[in-house]
Amino acid sequence: MSILFNGRASGASDSAPGLLQKLMMGVVTHLRQAVSSLGELWRSPVWTLVTIAVLGVSMTLPATLHVLVKNLQQVSSNYDQSFEISLFLKNDVTETDIATLVTLLQGDRDVGKVRLIDKTAAMAEFKQESGFGEAITFLDQNPLPDVLLVTPSQSKPAAAEALMNKLQQERFVELAKLDISWLERLAAIMSLVQQVVYTIAALLLCGALLVIGNTIRLLIMDKKAEIEVMKLVGATDSFIQRPFLYTGIWLGVFGGFLAFLVIELMLFWLRGAIANVTQLYQSGFSLNVLTLQEFGILMLIAIGLGLVGSYLAVRSHIKAIEPC
Amino acid sequence: MLRFEQVSKSYPGGFVALDRVSFELQKGEMAFLTGHSGAGKSTMLKLISLIERPSTGRVVINGIDLSGIKPGQIPYVRRDIGMIFQDHRLLMNHTVFDNVALPLVIEGFTGRDMARRVHAALDQVGLLDKARCLPATLSGGEAQRVGIARAVVNKPPLLLADEPTGNLDPDLSKDIMRVFEAFNQAGVSVLVASHDLSLIARMRYRTMTLKSGKMINDGLMHNEETL
Repeated sequence: MSILFNGRASGASDSAPGLLQKLMMGVVTHLRQAVSSLGELWRSPVWTLVTIAVLGVSMTLPATLHVLVKNLQQVSSNYDQSFEISLFLKNDVTETDIATLVTLLQGDRDVGKVRLIDKTAAMAEFKQESGFGEAITFLDQNPLPDVLLVTPSQSKPAAAEALMNKLQQERFVELAKLDISWLERLAAIMSLVQQVVYTIAALLLCGALLVIGNTIRLLIMDKKAEIEVMKLVGATDSFIQRPFLYTGIWLGVFGGFLAFLVIELMLFWLRGAIANVTQLYQSGFSLNVLTLQEFGILMLIAIGLGLVGSYLAVRSHIKAIEPC
Repeated sequence: MLRFEQVSKSYPGGFVALDRVSFELQKGEMAFLTGHSGAGKSTMLKLISLIERPSTGRVVINGIDLSGIKPGQIPYVRRDIGMIFQDHRLLMNHTVFDNVALPLVIEGFTGRDMARRVHAALDQVGLLDKARCLPATLSGGEAQRVGIARAVVNKPPLLLADEPTGNLDPDLSKDIMRVFEAFNQAGVSVLVASHDLSLIARMRYRTMTLKSGKMINDGLMHNEETL
């Protein structure tokens, strides 16, 4: 609608008959600007490539660290489920006592599983594993105690510790032992690593934001004359800035995809080396790669960075250009 | 249609570009604005197209005081005013068609509707066969006519021209003026700033003369010595 001339049809929307048609024209305008901003990038390939590379590298490093942390967590979670409380029983307990204790424990809600390793079995195992072999047969009596291995029903360090303290009080128990301190340390280190990763990621992404903003600023300066003409023939600021915002989005798309490619290549390259190591340790560890969801998040972050970076540049610079 | 009421414009530093200028341009009227360079012609056009704001006084278009126009509304006001510049201000890396289509693209036109209007405008200035050319390949007169086509493509009721013939030889200048006359006969109000006095005198239209920011003559100009 015209401001000065009441009733003067101005603009396509005034002459369009239907709502659907207006919507279609809006979509077409957006598509045209999106495609033409892609063409703009093609016209200044060096700056475009530099910006995409900066964005890609800044995304690659934190994303790689994220994959690393994820894999470490996978390793440590394997251990998480395997903590057991060892109950060393007093030397003078009888088999009936043990049976009573086992029944008692199995009735406890906090206890998941109870396994008995009696003296003789323990001795046989020790003989086999320790390598003392025949020397052990010279012992008068079996010095090993009966052991009950109790798995807590909840696999949390705190719950396991509480259970251990409770079991310590049992009549036949000499000593209850739970080795979780190293697990706690591992968990602490993991969360430290995670914090470091997030901090580095935030710093790198700030850097990428500035680079994108600068690239867009150069593009705007390059088209100063064109922007002046557009303002003279009645373009709104939002119309003028839209192609630059699309440029930012495109930079994000390409930068994010570059980061994805680099990570995949790196993991592909590492897979062989990791397979060698895990084979030596006879572990069933397999390398976790980026899931589809993580790929989506990576792209979203990259596109968001492109958009925000270009918005910051556009907001200040387009308003500053006025025809004279 | 277009009215100046005691409009003054002074710049920081004390330079007075316009000093209490008043005039009214009727709907469908064509007029010339003349004077030496620095007399305030360009300032007047800038006040109309809201590139500048007056220090005092009111600029009124079609009964609407421009001082009430907010910055966000300026683009919409400019869509109602066709502007032509001495250096024609074309986008050099776009074709003639794209240049003329620019105002339509801004207003959201697409496809056949847009092409039809662009071709009509190019036809009016006699450049239909140059639609696919780049501005760099055009002569000065042709480039100026592309500028005119761009100014009229969305059929504004008011046309402003700032020294449209400044860089052209007399024959081409006459051609350009004839194009303005044709639009004026179609009902468009036209205001042309020019210092080409001999051409203006021959055209026999209302002529306003500015000198050091003051309006010293308003009416038909019969001889050039009034300056």
